[in-house]
Amino acid sequence: MIDLTYLVAAISFGSLLTSTLTFSAPLILGALGGLCSERSGVINIGLEGKMLAAACATGYIAQASQDPVLGLTAGILVATLLAMLHWTLTQTYRIDHIISGMGINALCAGGTSLISKTFPELGSKQMAAFSIYVYWLCAWTAVIAIWWILKSTRGGLRLYAVGNDPDKSRQMGIKPGKVRLQALLGTGLLTGLAGALIVTNAGSFSDGMTSGRGYIALAALILGGWRPWPTLIAAVLFGLFDSLQLQLQGQPLFGQVIPGEFWQALPYLVTLVALAGIAGKSRAPAGLGKP
Amino acid sequence: MTGITKLFGTVEALRDVDLTVQSGHIHAIVGENGAGKTTLMKVLYGAHQASDGQINLNGEPVSFRDSKEAIAAGIGMVSQHYSIIPELTCLQNLVLGAEPGPVISYAAAESRANELAKQMGFQFNWHEEASEISPSQGQKLEILKLLWRNAKILILDEPTAMLAPDDADLLYAKLHELTEQGATVLVVTHRLPEVMEHCDEVTVLRGGKLIDSCPVAQTNPAELAEKMVGQAVTEHSPIPCNPGETLLTVRNLVVKGDKGNDAVKEASFELKSGELVGIAGVDGNGQRELFYALMGTRNSSGEIHLGIQNLTNTSTAERIQSGIRLIAEDRHNEAVIEDWSIADNAILGLQRTNRVLAGRSINRNTQAELAKNVTEIFPTKFDNVNQKFRDLSGGNQQKVVAARSLQESPQVVLAFQPTRGIDLYVAGLVYDGLIKATREGATVLVVSFDLDELMTYCDRILVMNHGEIAEVPAELRQDRSAIGRMMVGAE
Amino acid sequence: MKAFHMSWKQILLALAGFGVVIGALIVAGAVPAEALQTVVQKALTTPAGWRDILRETTPLLLLGCSVFLALKAGLFNIGADGQFVVGAMASVAIALHNFGPLTIPLAIVVGTLAGGLWALPVGLIKAYRGGHEVITTIMLNNIAFFLSVFLVKGVLKDPESQSPTTAYIAEAAKLPNLVQNGPFRLNIALLFAIAVALALWWYLKRTVGGYELNATGANSKAAKFAGIQIEKVIVRSMTTSGAIAGLAGALQVLAYENRFYSGFSPGYGFDALGVALLAGGSPLALLGSGLLFGIIGKSTTVLSLTGVPKGLSFILLGILVIVFASFRYRKEPSHD
Repeated sequence: MIDLTYLVAAISFGSLLTSTLTFSAPLILGALGGLCSERSGVINIGLEGKMLAAACATGYIAQASQDPVLGLTAGILVATLLAMLHWTLTQTYRIDHIISGMGINALCAGGTSLISKTFPELGSKQMAAFSIYVYWLCAWTAVIAIWWILKSTRGGLRLYAVGNDPDKSRQMGIKPGKVRLQALLGTGLLTGLAGALIVTNAGSFSDGMTSGRGYIALAALILGGWRPWPTLIAAVLFGLFDSLQLQLQGQPLFGQVIPGEFWQALPYLVTLVALAGIAGKSRAPAGLGKP
Repeated sequence: MTGITKLFGTVEALRDVDLTVQSGHIHAIVGENGAGKTTLMKVLYGAHQASDGQINLNGEPVSFRDSKEAIAAGIGMVSQHYSIIPELTCLQNLVLGAEPGPVISYAAAESRANELAKQMGFQFNWHEEASEISPSQGQKLEILKLLWRNAKILILDEPTAMLAPDDADLLYAKLHELTEQGATVLVVTHRLPEVMEHCDEVTVLRGGKLIDSCPVAQTNPAELAEKMVGQAVTEHSPIPCNPGETLLTVRNLVVKGDKGNDAVKEASFELKSGELVGIAGVDGNGQRELFYALMGTRNSSGEIHLGIQNLTNTSTAERIQSGIRLIAEDRHNEAVIEDWSIADNAILGLQRTNRVLAGRSINRNTQAELAKNVTEIFPTKFDNVNQKFRDLSGGNQQKVVAARSLQESPQVVLAFQPTRGIDLYVAGLVYDGLIKATREGATVLVVSFDLDELMTYCDRILVMNHGEIAEVPAELRQDRSAIGRMMVGAE
Repeated sequence: MKAFHMSWKQILLALAGFGVVIGALIVAGAVPAEALQTVVQKALTTPAGWRDILRETTPLLLLGCSVFLALKAGLFNIGADGQFVVGAMASVAIALHNFGPLTIPLAIVVGTLAGGLWALPVGLIKAYRGGHEVITTIMLNNIAFFLSVFLVKGVLKDPESQSPTTAYIAEAAKLPNLVQNGPFRLNIALLFAIAVALALWWYLKRTVGGYELNATGANSKAAKFAGIQIEKVIVRSMTTSGAIAGLAGALQVLAYENRFYSGFSPGYGFDALGVALLAGGSPLALLGSGLLFGIIGKSTTVLSLTGVPKGLSFILLGILVIVFASFRYRKEPSHD
């Protein structure tokens, strides 16, 4: 019981809720971006790169133009172009999906780092941006929209079919390449929003600022079994870990000071344990990575 | 269809083939494996583009760039490779590719689905995942998919391969009803009795060329068989079988299926040295699981003995060491590594046998010898043993796989559809090779879905139905319909 | 080895990649020709330049071997970076103490074991739970990173230092240089790396274990029917891959860095993927591709002194990986 008082003393629930929402929103958007792609059978470990590139584009364009619309558009555009690059590499060039994703991650990490180091003066200006609440709305609407699309539309059915078996889908007169193109447009849009949100939260772009959140989004997607609502729950849970870390900051929880690194590593640990225990291959789209 | 030619690279799959199909008829396309039957049908269905030639539909010239256009023109095809996606529900599979609109009302779809099913005398739980349904239900679902798409011309590739004889008769009865309502049915098959009994017209293809096309009433099975093969089919002359001592003993074997059911139920049988034993049965009655258990790639309960050796809980590697060999069902995925050379594939599975293994390394001399043997036992066309396996033709690949199973003194050869995808001539060679091995003291267990093949070559026939194994009495071994009844448990 | 099939699509991709690199140089304010000249003058023709190239090559070659081995077993070891970090940490924890003449061997063995152990769950989850190794290794990379930050801020921290780093290891715990000539150095660690590459070649090409590993990677289903216990092969090769990465970490500490600090790996694990992919089918080619990435590493360092940010090296990595993968590592569409 005493421990519980410690807990209550350490945490203000109002700000915990707000910060959880803030931290989870980019994860939700990123994970849903991954969901579009992976449900169509395209493995996407390039979420991190797309989010980073989008953050970079949104940050600098919004600072240079002082126009939030232009900034967000630039972010979405860059992420979409990268998603299209992934589509071209995996579908036209038939490169292994993981190699393509890694390559794109490297390009984005290198490219954004090069730009931010070359033009350091850009980061100093105030950035014009939409309110965070716009992004929260986008994130939660996206969950509902994707859930509905998967459940009751032609596009959703075809996405599901292509992701499970592209060859058989082709026999049914469906063009897997086209379905995947549309899916990756969705990935571009959502990861673009995720990147824009991250840079909006921070106020300006800095090198490597997504700091692994693309990978956490991927973890949420896997923990959520590639389904929209469980993915949302996983992303919110990971957001909660982040905000707990921020709230506690050296204060004891249950009488113990828990190091910040523990909270930061927790999403990865939870996913790893889940993969070791409950989750099997059965829930992943069966056609992941197939040409 | 007139003057259809289809090239795959430089290989001519079809050459100047004409085909005329009367509407309202059931038209059979027969021929050996590789004769071009399926390719011709895929050209009609728009899945392949003809390199040359013209297709007329109701007198109008048409050309389909893809299957979608063929579907729109009322042509539907059920291919041999099952096109049902197991992760989707039956209803989702039914509507996939022909959805009523951008937003799907599954309630409305279900009521139409029920109507179609009723019309064909089928029954479905539409919300069941397709992975749960049996192969024959799957076949029925495929046919409903064509009706869902309002197909007027139905192309069925080996539609009865998955069905028991009675179910096959029922299917043809329903197809006749459909043709009476104005549909046209094209059936690709190699089962001549089926053609004679149920079809109106028949077209024979051989080596990508049209051999003959005539009403069924004007021909007979012997004549058709001759046209398919190009020469009078030589009768297999059985070599007398003198079974020796018992080699493989299986007692009360129970094997789980993929869904956790008992796929093999308390199976017991013995195989003697010197005999070739066949397992007859409809696909999906536990044959696959039986082989997995015998090979040790799936857990089972019960006992397996080889001579005096107890193999029950041994690994696959130990069983290979003891002389058990497998001709796997799915050559591409289970038997070989297609990107490897013939030489590397020649020792696959034998890599730890005494002659191949030298210390921790592979004995390259033995490997070269084995590579030579596996290409010589059955005359194989190839350039050199370092050639990629993928570049061999299907028939030659199967010859190598079969020959490999006869290397390093096999005791028991388990052959799962050893003649799948190869023509009758090569099939005969493979069986002769297997029989020769038995006469040298081994025993061979063959699973085939082609009863005629088993009746021709086997010394004894077992029947597998719902995981249970029964032996065909000696006096019924040449009684096709009696074995057929045993296959479905009617006797 | 199969000859490259060049098509206009691949040429287009290669040209586009080349364009991106040139574009990046121009964006960074460099003149490409001058940049090349700088690289040749400062990196490729000086003893100090070669000292650093060989130093960079050591971990890249070893990590390349690690990724290559896993790749042959059909596993993408994205986690070499984490295994490298864990190996280095374990090794430094030993090397900071004095075990007499045993210090160096013990530090190497412990680092190697730590890397192997870090990869063990990856193999187990892949073999017995079907969890994809790419996901588990990404998770473990991040866990390794936060663990290392936690440790160098805590128990392993040098009390004398302000920043999160361990103390330097004693002189006796350092791996010696084989050649020391002016500014040029060749550490014995590079020989270890070359020996590992040669051993890998021998194992994969000559032994039955290598044959079975290749079979598992090429077609696990056929491998299973050929009596190969694929689960064991997967666990064994993943663990060995991790051990090689751990060895790389240990050698990095003992030969070059002589301490461990927060941010120890500048992304070597990802470069290693490039090293392994570029080597194609042969382990011996790893020697070449490892050296190539060593040269790239040193070249971008030299260029960073002239104002071209280090980000260029990641751009080069991405381009090389993508262009090279368009020639190899393609998924062939399945046919009947």
